[in-house]
Amino acid sequence: MIEEPGSFRDPAAKIFYKNNKVYRKLNKTGVERFNFIYEKKIFQKSIENNFLISTKVLEEKEKTTIDLKIGDFILEHEKINYVSYPYEWSFNQLKRAAIFHLDFNLFLLELDATLIDASAYNIQFIGHKPIFIDVLSIKKYREGEPWKAHKQFCENFLNPLILKSKKGVKFNNWFRGNLEGIDTDELDKVLNFFDKLSFNVFTHVHLLNKFDQKFKSKKTLNPVKIKHIPKKNLILIIKQLKKFIQNLKDYKSITLWDGYSTDNSYTKDDELRKKTIVQNFIKKNNFNLIADLGCNDGEYSELSINSGCKNVIGFDFDINVVDSAYQRAINKNLNFLPLYLDASNPSSNLGWNENERKSFKYRSNFDAILALAFEHHLAIGKNIPLNELIQWLVNLAPTGLIEFVPKNDATVTKMLELKGDIFPNYTINEFEKNLANISNIISKNEISQSGRTIYEYKR
Amino acid sequence: MILIKYNSKFMINLIKFYFIIMILFTSNAYAYLDPGTGSIILQAILGFVAAAIASISLYWTKFKLFMIRLFKKKENKKK
Repeated sequence: MIEEPGSFRDPAAKIFYKNNKVYRKLNKTGVERFNFIYEKKIFQKSIENNFLISTKVLEEKEKTTIDLKIGDFILEHEKINYVSYPYEWSFNQLKRAAIFHLDFNLFLLELDATLIDASAYNIQFIGHKPIFIDVLSIKKYREGEPWKAHKQFCENFLNPLILKSKKGVKFNNWFRGNLEGIDTDELDKVLNFFDKLSFNVFTHVHLLNKFDQKFKSKKTLNPVKIKHIPKKNLILIIKQLKKFIQNLKDYKSITLWDGYSTDNSYTKDDELRKKTIVQNFIKKNNFNLIADLGCNDGEYSELSINSGCKNVIGFDFDINVVDSAYQRAINKNLNFLPLYLDASNPSSNLGWNENERKSFKYRSNFDAILALAFEHHLAIGKNIPLNELIQWLVNLAPTGLIEFVPKNDATVTKMLELKGDIFPNYTINEFEKNLANISNIISKNEISQSGRTIYEYKR
Repeated sequence: MILIKYNSKFMINLIKFYFIIMILFTSNAYAYLDPGTGSIILQAILGFVAAAIASISLYWTKFKLFMIRLFKKKENKKK
């Protein structure tokens, strides 16, 4: 049994893993909260309406077969293929999650329940679809109570979206630095007069910040008087906020790899050869989960799914192409989740005791990797030593395809234009030698005249 | 927008009242207070005007569009 160190915020339950399954053990408070949503059928309806992750209550018999204590109240959740964090999402992914959160809250209010928090980490993606994972975040709604998670909602969802939409600043690095999202106080300082002309920006950012500052400065320890907010007004506030978020548009700056898949250095024949290699590799294996590193707009991820792979997680360091890939996943309804990753600085273990949010490496449980036109961005673009890079890639999955891009290829030539050729060891022979040292090379196919070569390895 | 910012004292005066109270609120932060207090106060206010929010927002947008059009017209005339 492995306890999840990140599940400490709500003492009412504890997540643990056993035999590759996910369980939640409830204490007395947790059982009381759960009984309410179970008896009122809120739990069942939330699952039926695709808001809540598929969950079942373990029966005594099942507990004995997996060696769990009789009498404990235990839930079993559907296992998520790949846990992602909001700082790895694009604008439209966070926007989708924000609207999903508000929709779920509105759905619950209809059933006289509400969400106790608004943590973006409670939403995960299965393919491109968001799902709520924390059953115990649902509680009974008391008439007149305010939306206690409003401020958390602003920091986790609204503020990052406003920052990107109004200023064109991507929220990912800021969010990763402060795991609770973006402070209202900080955002208020960044926004100018004209940004605040928007009614919702003015109220949910500027006014909220000013009220907070004012009440903090009172230096009083008296309990806060909880205002009575009629349910219909609460619903209106949430609906108004939802409408505002729906209308927020991504502010896209021009990035280097935008339109790369339609505007690259390959000829039609090269591309066809590359696609055939990927197709054959996927078809001969029965993969459940693969990682497409440098997925760009998801062309090869889609090809992999169409060739029989069940789930693909794509990674790219260009936030615009992550967003385009996400649109592809939605439009074509693919089990494909693209995420933001700077491979030279991947997500690390973060949060309390450096254990709350997991690193990219820790979460890598892929059956295979595709690293097509990827390695040169690190080896040439970021000066990562070739042997270390190959080791890193091979460690991610037991098998995969890695494309080597030689120095005489137009893209590498361009990269070396200003840098100068400071990589005497960046050769195909060196690449092959290093790969062969730590894995078996199953196949090797040259796909372009410049000498781009795809290697299939197995460790 | 640049035009509004630099050429229209009228515009700024008109909206000043909207912000003037807020400037009075500026103060230092103390960490021991419930961080949700401001949020609850805000909700009470938002809730109070909730029924009117939709229309206020609508008129605000209309007003903004009107102002932008007005200044665009001026800009065109100048040209």
